[in-house]
Amino acid sequence: MSNFFKLVYNEQVKLYARKSTWIMFGILAAIILGVAILGKTVGNVDEAQYGDDWRQQLEQENAEIAEGSSEEEVANHWGIQENNYYLDNDIKPLEYDAWQFVVENVMLSALLSLFTIIVAAGIIAHEFRWGTVKLLLIRPVARTKILFAKYASVLLFAFTSLVFLLVFSWITGAIFFGVNGANPLLVIQNQNEYTQIAAWAEMGRSYGLQLINLVMMATFAFMISSIFRNSGLAIGFAIFLMMAGNSIIGFFMQYDWAKYILFANTNLEQYFRGTPLIEGMTLSFSIGVLIVYYVIFMVLSWLFFTKRDVAGH
Amino acid sequence: MAAEPAMKLIDLKKDIGKKQIIKGLTFDINPGEVFGFLGPNGAGKTTTIRMMVGLMKISEGDVVIKGSSIKSNYKDAIRHVGAIVENPEMYPFMSGWKNLLHYARMMSGITEERIKEVVSLVGLEKAIHEKAGRYSLGMRQRLGIAQALLHRPSVLILDEPTNGLDPHGIREIRQYIRSLAEKENVAVIVSSHLLSEIEMMCDRIGIIKNGELVAIETVKGLTKTDEDLIHIEAVPLDRANELLRQTLQLEPTVEEENIKLTVKREEIPSIVKCLVEGQVDVFGVQVQRSTLEDKFLDVIGENAIE
Repeated sequence: MSNFFKLVYNEQVKLYARKSTWIMFGILAAIILGVAILGKTVGNVDEAQYGDDWRQQLEQENAEIAEGSSEEEVANHWGIQENNYYLDNDIKPLEYDAWQFVVENVMLSALLSLFTIIVAAGIIAHEFRWGTVKLLLIRPVARTKILFAKYASVLLFAFTSLVFLLVFSWITGAIFFGVNGANPLLVIQNQNEYTQIAAWAEMGRSYGLQLINLVMMATFAFMISSIFRNSGLAIGFAIFLMMAGNSIIGFFMQYDWAKYILFANTNLEQYFRGTPLIEGMTLSFSIGVLIVYYVIFMVLSWLFFTKRDVAGH
Repeated sequence: MAAEPAMKLIDLKKDIGKKQIIKGLTFDINPGEVFGFLGPNGAGKTTTIRMMVGLMKISEGDVVIKGSSIKSNYKDAIRHVGAIVENPEMYPFMSGWKNLLHYARMMSGITEERIKEVVSLVGLEKAIHEKAGRYSLGMRQRLGIAQALLHRPSVLILDEPTNGLDPHGIREIRQYIRSLAEKENVAVIVSSHLLSEIEMMCDRIGIIKNGELVAIETVKGLTKTDEDLIHIEAVPLDRANELLRQTLQLEPTVEEENIKLTVKREEIPSIVKCLVEGQVDVFGVQVQRSTLEDKFLDVIGENAIE
């Protein structure tokens, strides 16, 4: 088994020996810093300081919003709803801090999907492009093992970059906005209602769900890479599907089978926040669909990698 | 008692689509032997090598390495093989050293000392920590040979190993291959489309044409040809020509100031004697050895590529 870890280690060495991998982390760091600086300077972050008189402050905010709005608008205004939640439950609003910054930055996982797709698309295809595959596959190691080492390396990259996003966001957030304790209770919107949830739980939930999406896209790109041995094609295909995913579902929405489309199921957030995309879909249904797709992707990757000849150019 | 062959090819065939690319190759390569695998480009050398190392599936037949079939017992068979297939392509963004470490991790029991040893064997000590992307083709070739030797293989397969090397480098590689075969009893398979580059290092040469083995000859047999072409410079030519035809029943051709004829080596003294006794002045006898190249071209035909 140590043999397998050596193979994964090899893949990681090759991955991090290339500048492009470091550039990805650089871009991610730059964007996180950029978001923090923007938040601090332009001030789209709720900078209100709440003192002991936070109840009056909230009432006043509500009054300001209500001014000049119709009654219906007032009832649906998210700011008022949120403030009312604080008032109703007697919770003092927390100042914006590193924890909230981290939770908000989960949106950057779209960028991680992109990076993971690039890595997954290249990890097989590059060996063919460089010609190194011929030296790689003439070792006393089964092709299946090499394939899974490569796949494990992609997952490890996805996981590493997700952890990087989390930790770097937290540190940046802590520097720019400060920290409210080790695990503060955050107020978040959940299906048109507000609830309180611990920061760690919220982070685990949202980042965990993103990881599922990440793994699915990476596995898809990995499969294309294995079948066509061409990283450009794999990147293009996977990114196109990632971007067009929602349009594809929209386009086929009226059909009964639309719920079996991969992209209708990758966003598991729909079962925790908001409503399912298509009526009748449940969390276990989506997990089932994802598993079926996953198995298909893996089997195809395996078949093409292990059964096909490594022919000349 | 003959040693067990290091590698056996048994009626090896490869079909691609409906076309048969390799049409049944059968031959053995013995330990301590340098085997030249010769053929024009497109004859099927690389396809055969790819089947030997398991990169391509075998359509029919088998390759047996040290008793293990590459088809049914891949890991045990490939364990004994070191190879370069086509160009020695390396990871360009890593140093030569890291490239070697990478392959060393895929096999068991390769120490850092062994890697150092191999590096010095191929004479890459100076450049080993530079990125492989900056290597010249000759340096990549050396690094390729280094990675093939890491695990002390019993069978070494080198596809066009002299490609991109300067004459000095070719000589070094040649000496190195010879010493591997002679001292460490490695079976070496060297492919080439240029006979002149491998004839000096091979014990036997198999010539492949259009996926078929057209000849296997030991190099000695090839060079010590039965008949040599000789040029005789003699005056008068007409008389010499007549003498040879009448007394010795030979069929010389007259070309400019020379007589050309093909004879066995041991016949030369009697020819000279005949001419001298017949009052012909002989100014010189020149033996032109038929080279392996001529033989090679004879065997495969001038226009081998279909």
